[in-house]
Amino acid sequence: MAYTLSEIRPDDQRNRKKLLALLEGEGITLDGNLDYTCGLFDENYQLVATGSTFGCTLRCFAVDHGHQGEGLLNQVVSHLMERQAEREILHQFVYTKCQSAKFFQDLGFYEIARVEGTLSFLENRRGGFASFCKQLEKDRRPGKSGAIVMNANPFTLGHQGLVERAAAECDTVHLFVLSEEASLVPFAVRWKLVTEGVAHLKNVICHPSGPYMISSATFPSYFLKDEQTVIAGHAKLDLALFVSIAQALGVTVRYVGEEPRSLVTGLYNQIMAQELPKAGIQCVEVPRLQAEGQVISASTVRQAIHDGRLEEIKDQLPQTTWDFFHSSQAQPVIDAIRGSAEVIHY
Amino acid sequence: MEILKPAMAGTLESSDAQVTVEPGTDGIQLTLSSSVMNQYGRQIKATVLETLERLGVNNAQVTVVDKGALDCTLKARVECAVFRSCGQSAANIPWGGAVR
Repeated sequence: MAYTLSEIRPDDQRNRKKLLALLEGEGITLDGNLDYTCGLFDENYQLVATGSTFGCTLRCFAVDHGHQGEGLLNQVVSHLMERQAEREILHQFVYTKCQSAKFFQDLGFYEIARVEGTLSFLENRRGGFASFCKQLEKDRRPGKSGAIVMNANPFTLGHQGLVERAAAECDTVHLFVLSEEASLVPFAVRWKLVTEGVAHLKNVICHPSGPYMISSATFPSYFLKDEQTVIAGHAKLDLALFVSIAQALGVTVRYVGEEPRSLVTGLYNQIMAQELPKAGIQCVEVPRLQAEGQVISASTVRQAIHDGRLEEIKDQLPQTTWDFFHSSQAQPVIDAIRGSAEVIHY
Repeated sequence: MEILKPAMAGTLESSDAQVTVEPGTDGIQLTLSSSVMNQYGRQIKATVLETLERLGVNNAQVTVVDKGALDCTLKARVECAVFRSCGQSAANIPWGGAVR
């Protein structure tokens, strides 16, 4: 039988309906955030297989149960990978149900983590994650090691307080700064402000977080709005990867800032408190620092910059961050924050 | 020929192979997976390396996901990926030869 492959656009109501019916029939929900969806149609223009991409991930695959075993998934994956390659994304990831992981392993994907009963996460590099961990292992130090993962968008006194607390309690602190370019403050600036802000703490080692920690691959709902069940799934996957990273570094405790406001980070912390102790990693939730009776938060800082009230938040920022926002280099960042409609993390 | 940017050619369908080439500095690093690895793994590897040598590629990271492709298919896919990676795939494609 001849099949035709074509894109299914978000505004294509007719095919969209077929897509939803196919996914529902196979027990898969369509993700809210996708940047490309394709479908394979048979001679009667019935949709028999589909797949989508978002960033560097391939997802939402389904093959009609009447057509399974015909190698249709291979056609869909080939098409999506080719399209991703045209966009120069060669390091690709797949999310799928655990029972479908074996099909992707036949297509040159290697499993890096799974959340038992829900999803499996694969990449198309043999030993990609293993070599990432091996690279980190070089920074392994004896004694008690702690870890912190932060976006620091931008770096506040709250972040600094968290690192100081960890540095006082551990022999070594591994500080990961999210390297994903999905925040208002670009990575280069966040990295600069974090490294300057912790320069006085000699036992802190800074790392860019790379593609395996709270990235658009492991945790897309951190950056874009999604439902609670989706966030929970992503968070569990992210933590499964973190456990492997922690083992490579000999990390036994992770510090997080208490999260009274943001839904996604709050949920992440909650799941972390359940999951990490299972793997023998202690999870310490540190209360937020306060300035003039108000909790310090990067969201508040962004809001103040957005409203042009930078002077009001001087007591929430370390000197280094304060100086940066008064330098000429900060202008593009300030403009980006001012120009954004949504500055508060959901 | 020098690999300037990452490129991909081929598909994952039966009797085909998907070849990805990326810039490298440390000779040819080949990652091969095949549905007929036990029967033809060595032959596939030899064909890929031979084609790269003929094209004068000395440094690259090459990934091949083979689905039982014949030698001629493998050669064509490797050539195509290499030509794409150095911007030679638009016109005057020197099939079977190397870009000089």
